[in-house]
Amino acid sequence: MSRIAAREVIGRYGTAIAGLALILFFLIFAPNFASATNIINVLKDTSFLAILALGFALAFTVAELDLSVAEIASLAAVVCGWLVHSQYPPALAVAGALGVGVVFGSLNGFGVTVLRIPSLIMTLGTAAIAKGCAFMITQGVAFVGRWPVGFTGLARGYSFGIPNLVLWMITATLFAWGLVKWTRTGAHMVATGEADEAARLAGIATARIKRIGLLLAGIFAGLMAALLAANLSSAAPNMAGDYLLYAIAAVLLGMTMFEPGKPNVPGTVFAALVLKVLGNGLVLLGAAYYIQDIVLGVIIIGSVAFSASAMKTAAFKV
Amino acid sequence: MTDTTPLLSLRGIGKAYGPVVAVREVDLDIFAGEVVAICGDNGAGKSSLIKVISGAEEPTAGSISMRGKPVAFGSPHDALEHGVATIYQDLALAPRLSIAQNVFMGSELTRPLLLPFLRVLDKKKMIAESQRYLSQLSAAVTDMTRAVERLSGGQRQAVAISRALRWNAEIIIMDEPTAALGVKETALVLDLIRKLKADGRTVILISHNMRDVVALADRVVIMGAGRKYVDRPIGDLSADDIAHLIMAGNAKAA
Repeated sequence: MSRIAAREVIGRYGTAIAGLALILFFLIFAPNFASATNIINVLKDTSFLAILALGFALAFTVAELDLSVAEIASLAAVVCGWLVHSQYPPALAVAGALGVGVVFGSLNGFGVTVLRIPSLIMTLGTAAIAKGCAFMITQGVAFVGRWPVGFTGLARGYSFGIPNLVLWMITATLFAWGLVKWTRTGAHMVATGEADEAARLAGIATARIKRIGLLLAGIFAGLMAALLAANLSSAAPNMAGDYLLYAIAAVLLGMTMFEPGKPNVPGTVFAALVLKVLGNGLVLLGAAYYIQDIVLGVIIIGSVAFSASAMKTAAFKV
Repeated sequence: MTDTTPLLSLRGIGKAYGPVVAVREVDLDIFAGEVVAICGDNGAGKSSLIKVISGAEEPTAGSISMRGKPVAFGSPHDALEHGVATIYQDLALAPRLSIAQNVFMGSELTRPLLLPFLRVLDKKKMIAESQRYLSQLSAAVTDMTRAVERLSGGQRQAVAISRALRWNAEIIIMDEPTAALGVKETALVLDLIRKLKADGRTVILISHNMRDVVALADRVVIMGAGRKYVDRPIGDLSADDIAHLIMAGNAKAA
């Protein structure tokens, strides 16, 4: 293998291979990591993160940062929880969660493309609004209760011997991958994110495409929220807030794999798995809880540095 | 060029950016199969005029017609639909995307998958067609999945021109196609433009390079201070003559 080819392989798969090595390491050395229960738990945890991160990645594909995904998810979970708590049918509760995603995703798209507010600012604003709304609806307390299995089963049940959560993750992954790689809309999203002026001059309605990216980020947040509420049989106003940094880390770490420097679907999902394995493994090895945050920060910075060096230029501009 | 109806006709075109008037009362007829060079110093209004023809910006005065029928270009898409494609100096391509992705940007091919309403990208066909366009232009590139950033400047121009061919554009506007290219690359691009002409396409060329203009154009249009003040066949004009005309125009404008 020539040196250039070797570099290409390391650039494409280097961090993915490191991720695999990390998983192997914990499988061998972390006590109880390899137990069936633990592995299923890690996969379930990964599902929430992967679905939220996929939404972030789709917005990032059109070169917009959506910092509101986690707070949208919190609000969507609360709305969903309130609907279940008020004994509306589960389908309506899920529709409610997705509806919150649609409303906030559209709002972000409107702000970014019509009001021309940079997405960084627009989504910080909508994140604060969503957070406030979530506290307003709950008055600061969580909805907890004996919720119908028809709802909680969405996350806790099994189909064909596989946890439903994992099936949701696979569905979301296939949807996002199919969209980006195989549809015209996806091709337009990629072109818009890569070079929006070139895309516009090539006749692509770039503003509409950006709105689609931000809308999808909202919808994925809504789906993740419904599953989160179903899994916990509760909905609290701050329940998804902590997922933001993890989602960003998953997308950025994912950008170091498979298609270096580009937000991509397989990278995002695999990175979500690696992050959750790392968190779980560290706990099992007895590391203090705050170590996770430090590791997360290092991964965020390191990923972007890696992408930048792989491309010999800044990985992206925001 | 026996047809006397111009392919593209501009009448009284003006473009103002607030109080700044970039283009004033320009009348211009372009006939099928011509190569027309638009020259002028920086700030002469060339780029603004081109943006109007390409649909990137709407004129603030005047009208455009094609084959005698009035048209309005509200967006680059409208212009493309009317067969007017523009190749911008730096903005035309997405560097990290593949050749095929760039050639088919905005006009991707699809094929049905299982269900009639479910259409997916036809990547194989796009790769094959891109290959066909590029070999039509005799550009020596074989791997259509290669990122455009890995190509030379001349090859990039070939990719950009392939996109115009993909749109089946009758009029291809080229903004400084040889700027920032080496000698060999420039020769390649000049050849590309000759091939377009031989193919019966109409080319509007914006260039600072008088030698390119003399080598390629049938007609030269010179602008200064937003107005058109020379519009004549190249005939036996030399590169120096055109440079003189530009300077004379500047003097008049000042």
